[in-house]
Amino acid sequence: MSAANANRPRASESRGDGVRRRSPGEDRNADRSLDCEILIVGSGAGGSTTATVLAEAGFDVLIAEEGAWVDQGSVIPFSLAQMDSQYRSGGVTVALGAPSIAYTEGRCAGGGTEVNSGLYRRPPGEVIDRWRSQYQIRDLDPAELDSIADEVEKELSVCLTPGTPSEPSRILRDGAEALGWQNSEIPRWMTYPEGTTGFRGERQSMTRTYLPRAMAAGARLVTGLTIDRLITSNGRATSATARQDGRPVTVRFRHVIVCGGAIQTPALLQRSGIRKHIGRSLAVHPTVKLAARFDHEVNVPDDVPVHQVKEFAPALSFGGSASNPGLVALSLSDSWRDFAPAVEAWPSISVYYAAITSEGRGVVQAVPGMRDPIVTYRLTRRDKDLLRSGLARLALLMLAAGAQEVYPSFRGAPIVRNRGDLATLQERFAAAKASVMTVHLCSTVPLGEDRSRCGADSYGRVHGYPNVFVNDASLLPDAPGVNPQGSVMALAIRNARHFARTERPRG
Amino acid sequence: MDSAPLVERLAAPFVAQLLRHDLPGLPSAHLDDTVKFIRRRFSSLPSFVRFGVTVIGAVVRAISIGPAEQPVLRFLAARPLPLFGEYVRLTRSLGYAYIWETWPDTLADGTPS
Repeated sequence: MSAANANRPRASESRGDGVRRRSPGEDRNADRSLDCEILIVGSGAGGSTTATVLAEAGFDVLIAEEGAWVDQGSVIPFSLAQMDSQYRSGGVTVALGAPSIAYTEGRCAGGGTEVNSGLYRRPPGEVIDRWRSQYQIRDLDPAELDSIADEVEKELSVCLTPGTPSEPSRILRDGAEALGWQNSEIPRWMTYPEGTTGFRGERQSMTRTYLPRAMAAGARLVTGLTIDRLITSNGRATSATARQDGRPVTVRFRHVIVCGGAIQTPALLQRSGIRKHIGRSLAVHPTVKLAARFDHEVNVPDDVPVHQVKEFAPALSFGGSASNPGLVALSLSDSWRDFAPAVEAWPSISVYYAAITSEGRGVVQAVPGMRDPIVTYRLTRRDKDLLRSGLARLALLMLAAGAQEVYPSFRGAPIVRNRGDLATLQERFAAAKASVMTVHLCSTVPLGEDRSRCGADSYGRVHGYPNVFVNDASLLPDAPGVNPQGSVMALAIRNARHFARTERPRG
Repeated sequence: MDSAPLVERLAAPFVAQLLRHDLPGLPSAHLDDTVKFIRRRFSSLPSFVRFGVTVIGAVVRAISIGPAEQPVLRFLAARPLPLFGEYVRLTRSLGYAYIWETWPDTLADGTPS
C-alpha cells in the first residue's frame, strides 16, 4: 500500500461504548511511519481550529491525538467513567506546592472542550491590550480577535440557555442579586431542542464542530498516537518519534504545530531539547470550593451552573461546579469527621467555587526517564489572602441565597450557618489546608517579541526554530481572568491564518 | 503472586484499612470494589506522583507491621502530616468519590441505605 493510500480516511471503528479506537475518517498507517506537510500535536481548542484553517487553505495536515475519540453523550458528563476515558491520568494530576493544586487535562479527541463546562467568554479587550504592550506582541488587534470570535461563536452555536436555568445556577444568581453583586449568565457552546423550557442541550465541542470540518477539508486525525519528541537538526525539526499501541511510529513533516495544552506542550518541547522560556511561567486560576445545603432538592448531577458572579472580577469570581454525589462527598472529605452526615443529604447540596486571578507562577519540567513532567506552582501571599476572602464571600453568597449550611473545603473548616460563622471560617482558613484546584492552565510558552521572557514570537513560532510552532493555551501571556478557551480559539485562528498567508501549501 | 504494579501492592492494605476505619458500615463487596478502583487510579497517576505514592506507601507499610497497624492507621487518619497527610487525602478523595458516585444512597458510615 502506498503511503498516500494508507493515509486515506477509512470507516470508523467503535467498541460500542462510545469510546472509539479510531475516529470517523481516521487513518492508522500499517507501515508505522507517517508523512505530512503539517503535523499538529493535539486536537483540543487550539489544535482543531488550527487544523481547520490550514486544511481549508490547502495544506496536508495530520493531527496526532494521544487520547481516544469519544462520542459526545456516550459518557455521563463529570463522572468517573468520563475521567477514565477522556482525562489524563484519570483526572488525578497535580501541581506540587504549598498547597498543591489539583488540575485536570482532557486527553481525547477534542481535548478539554469535550469535558469542560462549555462556558464561553470572548478574550477581554483590555487584557489583549495589556498583553500586546507588556509582551510586545505584533499586530495583536482586539478588533481582529472580536471578528474571529464572531465566527467561532457561530461555529460552536454559542448561546444563552433558552429555558429556565438549573436550580444551582438560579441560586448563584439570586444570592448575588440579594447582595447587589454583579452577575450574569455565561453563554455556552451548546445547542438546545427547539422550544425547550429547560437547560439541557448538546455540547458543541471540537468533535462536533471544527474537527469534522478539518477532516472534511482533508486533514487526517490519528488517535492513540503519542508524540514523544521532535527530532531537530540545525535548528529545524524534521520528524517526530511517536508511539501507537506500544509500537514506534515516525512522523515526518515540514512544519510542526504543538497544541497539547499548557502542560504537555512545554513538556514535549523540553524533551526535544527546546527549552528557552519554555515551561517557566505556568499561570492558572486557582479555585477553592464549598458545598452548600438548601431546604429543597437542588442537585443536578450531570451539569454545571451557567451563572457567574463577577462583582470582584477580575481578581475574584464565583461559579458553580459539577456536583454529582461522588463530587459532593469529595468536597466534604477534608473535614469528614464533622461534615460526613451531610453526604446523606446530597440531593439538597450543590458545590460552588471561588476562582482568583493569581499572581503566582508555576513550572513545567520534563524529566529524563519519566513519562510525565513535574509540575509545580507557587501561590503568593496575596493569592492565599484572596482565596481566604473569596471563600468567605462565596459562603456569604450562599447564605444570601438561602443555604441552611455551608461546608467549606479545607481541613478543620467550620459549618457555616449564619454570618457570624464567617469570621470563624476566615480565622481557620489557610491555603495549605485547602483543596485548591484549577481547570484553567496557560502561559507556559508566552508569545511576543520580548525575548527576555517569551518562548514564541507574535504568531506562535518558537524563537530560534523556524518550523516549530505552538498554538494553544500555552501562548496566552497570563491567565485572562475569564474562561480561557474563547481566547485560545481566537488566538489560534489568528495565528493559523497568518501561517497560511506566509507559507504556501506544497504542490 | 500478585503481578500488579508495585504502587498498587504497597498501597492496597492501607487503602482498605483506612476505608474500613472511616466507613465501618461499608459492605465488603463495596470495599473490595473501591479498593480495586483506587489501585487502578494509583497505577495511572503521573510518574512523579506515582513515585511519591510508592515511597510513602512503602514507608507506611513498613511501620504498620503487626500490632503497630491499628495505631499507625489511627494516627495517620487523624493527623494531616506533611506528605503522609496528602497520601491519606488522596486515598479518601478517590474512595469517597467512587463510593458515593457508585452507590449514592450510602449512609455516612458506609452502610447502604
